[in-house]
Amino acid sequence: MFLLLYHYIIVLKFKINKIIMDNEKLIDLATKISTNRDERAFSELFDFLAPKINAYYLKNNLSFEQSEELTQEVLSTIWAKTNLFDPERSKFITWVYTIARNKKIDLHRKTKIKKVEDEDIRHFLYQNNKINDYEIGLSIDKIKKELDENQKKLLKMSFFEQKSHKKIAEELEIPLGTVKSRIRSTLNKMQKFLS
Amino acid sequence: MNTAAQKNELIFDYSSGNLGEAKSLFVSMYLFLNSVAAKKASIFDNILADNLADLDEVAPKKINYKDCITATSKENLEFKISKNYTPLTNLIGSIDKLKWKSIYKGFREFNIPFHDDDTIKLIKMDPGTSVPLHSHNGKEYILVINGSFCDEYGEYKKGDMQINDQKIKHNPSACDTNGCVCLSITESDVIFFGKFASILNLFTFIKSFFK
Repeated sequence: MFLLLYHYIIVLKFKINKIIMDNEKLIDLATKISTNRDERAFSELFDFLAPKINAYYLKNNLSFEQSEELTQEVLSTIWAKTNLFDPERSKFITWVYTIARNKKIDLHRKTKIKKVEDEDIRHFLYQNNKINDYEIGLSIDKIKKELDENQKKLLKMSFFEQKSHKKIAEELEIPLGTVKSRIRSTLNKMQKFLS
Repeated sequence: MNTAAQKNELIFDYSSGNLGEAKSLFVSMYLFLNSVAAKKASIFDNILADNLADLDEVAPKKINYKDCITATSKENLEFKISKNYTPLTNLIGSIDKLKWKSIYKGFREFNIPFHDDDTIKLIKMDPGTSVPLHSHNGKEYILVINGSFCDEYGEYKKGDMQINDQKIKHNPSACDTNGCVCLSITESDVIFFGKFASILNLFTFIKSFFK
């Protein structure tokens, strides 16, 4: 009983501590940084993003040190390159995700060819479409609506946390074959809304 | 599995950061040249990024915002994207200035030196040059960077991608008046058919010892 209460307090505390920001607020902070080099705006952004990015790397099985190191790199990139972020093209959190993901790819990169740094900007270049395009928004909404909770969870485990099919099978206590076929059917379902 | 599904899965794997460096560069170029593919990547990026908002957060202990500011070099702050930037030329420089290796008349290659299980190279075919009928042991991915090529399955233009596996035998040729430059990834060696096939296959076999 006491434990339950304790748990409840922790959860409540966690919920209060978690900062919530919508896309507009994030864009507002980003604009302040790119136009005025506003350090206070950046510190707000840091408090919001750093725990998320760090958690993403930890979920991807990086060590504490590596996770914090990469988190710092991502935030330095955001500080330096907010001027390259275009709110017309992408949600701010999506932009942050792609930077974090690219840093992770670079970590595993065995070949050190020049200017790996520039990888951060890849995302701006091929996004020659606009995210508020009716078509894209519609596809995203449809996919989200179409997938049930289990399918979303599988996508998250497989593509966001990069867990192997075997690991997913163990964690969800279902056979490996089922994991494979469910992921395949989830992807097939998504593909219907991509064409 | 059909090719459209294979292409989509390649994009999904790219979005999740699952690919090796050769395929990462390949898909990066694909998204750069092909706006339909970029759109798909954008959709998937958005779906994955939403997970970031729902994560159980872990606050970093050793870093703070000031470190991030001081860690940023001046160069980085003044960074601008050059007009001719592409993910590929960013790594290897201008395509016109590469030291191409001639394989046979009208057909040249440039190997991109990655330490990866997949082999990535650029292929340059003069107008009208064709490749003997062949199939593939593993998968082959071809992306048209300039010009176009044709085979039994159709014409492939700038930004088009073709995925070939064991079941596909084809006989591509450069059909554009300017020839064709493609980025290619091979997971394993190619098997040739027809005249000279045994010599070409023997050559591939011998080459495999020197890898």
